[in-house]
Amino acid sequence: MMTASALRWLRNSMIYIVLIGVALILMIPVIWLLITSLKAEHEYVSDHLVLWPQPPQWQNYYLAVTRIDFLKYVRNSAVLSTIFAGLTVTTSAMAGYAFARIPAWGRSRLFSVVVATLLIPGSIYVIPQFIFYSQLRITNSYWPWVLWGLAASPFHIFLFRQFFQAFPVELEEAAEMDGARIHRIFLQIVLPNALPAVATSFILNFLGVWGDWVMTTLYLTDENTTLAVKLISSYFNPQGYPLITPTLAAAVLYVLPPVLVFFLMQKYIMQGVVTSGLKG
Amino acid sequence: MSTRALTPHPTTNLTPVRRSCRRWLGSRRGQKTLTFYLFILPWLLGFIALTVIPLSGGFALSFTNYDGLNLTTMKFLGAGNYTRIFNDADALFSLRRVLLWSALNVPIWLCTSFVLAWLLNHSIRGRGIFRTIFYLPSVIPLVAVTWIGRIMLHQQYGVVNQVINLVLPGTSIKWLSEYALVSLTGVAVWTGIGSGVVIFLAGLQNIPVELEEAALIDGANKWQSLRRVTIPLMTPVIFYQLVLSIVSAMQYFALPMLLSPTSGGNGGVLATPPVRAVYLFMIHAFRQAFGFQRYGYATALTWFLVLFMLVLTAFVFWSSSKWVHSESPEK
Repeated sequence: MMTASALRWLRNSMIYIVLIGVALILMIPVIWLLITSLKAEHEYVSDHLVLWPQPPQWQNYYLAVTRIDFLKYVRNSAVLSTIFAGLTVTTSAMAGYAFARIPAWGRSRLFSVVVATLLIPGSIYVIPQFIFYSQLRITNSYWPWVLWGLAASPFHIFLFRQFFQAFPVELEEAAEMDGARIHRIFLQIVLPNALPAVATSFILNFLGVWGDWVMTTLYLTDENTTLAVKLISSYFNPQGYPLITPTLAAAVLYVLPPVLVFFLMQKYIMQGVVTSGLKG
Repeated sequence: MSTRALTPHPTTNLTPVRRSCRRWLGSRRGQKTLTFYLFILPWLLGFIALTVIPLSGGFALSFTNYDGLNLTTMKFLGAGNYTRIFNDADALFSLRRVLLWSALNVPIWLCTSFVLAWLLNHSIRGRGIFRTIFYLPSVIPLVAVTWIGRIMLHQQYGVVNQVINLVLPGTSIKWLSEYALVSLTGVAVWTGIGSGVVIFLAGLQNIPVELEEAALIDGANKWQSLRRVTIPLMTPVIFYQLVLSIVSAMQYFALPMLLSPTSGGNGGVLATPPVRAVYLFMIHAFRQAFGFQRYGYATALTWFLVLFMLVLTAFVFWSSSKWVHSESPEK
């Protein structure tokens, strides 16, 4: 019979094999996107497998940026995402702070309302809100996102409240004793120290709009729409035939910001995921 | 000399009620309450305008034949829209599809992410790197996932078929049309596995090591420790994720539309139906609204689905007393 440590080595090796196998399988689609974005069109539109482009067509990336007004759509996406994220973070942080630190009549009842809102399935809003915005004549613009941002997000209110509750109370108490009003305490003491929560919230909201396709398709026109909507249909050459590989290059460029942000802010993003998954 | 004693107090001439209101407003508590409501005012207004009004308005609309344009020609239909659902073959078909889809997706997602999280929970090196790799697909935006799906699962040019052709030449599986449900499940699990692993891993790491060690000392082997100690302790997390994933799967809508060969043009995308195999319920509802302008019927369909999900969730909650171990004092 094997020794205990040999058994453990065997067990760990098996675990590693499975994990590495799964990791490879999960990465293949991403790698394939990168590889195919560098192929010539006929290397994609072919019957046999082309493992590596001969040679890599770096000009696909040039085409991706010039074939359509790529920069305009990047700007649209960035502007819309920033507007929404900025507004949502501000209003959610304010509400989160109020729920965490400002005693008032009805506070806990109102917070239960916030939590209850989290349980409502999102699909139920789509059609009524569309009718609402249509009646207000603000479709085909960024205004829906302004209103959504001003309305704050229950999830982010929850995040901020949790964060502020864990915040040491001494700083605020000291300021209060010095006679500072709550708005000043909030702006000058609490917010500057809340950078992790603010950053996480901003990034989650920003990436949410960057990656959104449903709302952007519903509410925006071809002129002011985001990169997401533009990239769903492929590029076309002057004769009207689809150009898949430059479209893939554009998709890679489109994917870069979320992936980069993810690598830089992993810790915070995972923390947000854990909060949403374990708080129940 | 100070004139303060000579000027009457500002509230002297007010009625008693007004005076106590003013006094309260000037007090610490009054100030705080005012500030509280000021701070939550954006959320509160937004809640009324974008939650209460749409929900109640949508509910009211579901009893009419509103077509998006004429409020004057709108008719009150009673429960007409709701009975129509049961006569609508497409609605019932899409309900069956979404149930099948959920029955496929939820267990696969739950099991694979739990198993992977459990594997990661062992004391191995590189746990963080694995977690990052597993989570990466979740970060990829929907549109990019669509393109990845298209280039991998294309009948002729997709890499999956081309690789299979190396072994079995002549294979030309129509992943995106004939096997749409299978493809959808694969893509959805691929994107979803990351969050599951992260959440379950966090839950597993919350379990004190001493409990598992105690079980091992008492003579249990690894397998029994998993079954009798780890999993029961994880049931609250599993339960919560089960409910969330069911609700999420039942509303699934975007990916099936995008992956279908019938998509690809914008404009009418929200109205163009996908392949029949993945014609899910919400797709049918949105098609009624944005394709046929039947907003009344569409909201009725949506509320129907919400009710259906409520019943499902209630059932899961009811069953939870049988298998979920709530936080009980130590045995």
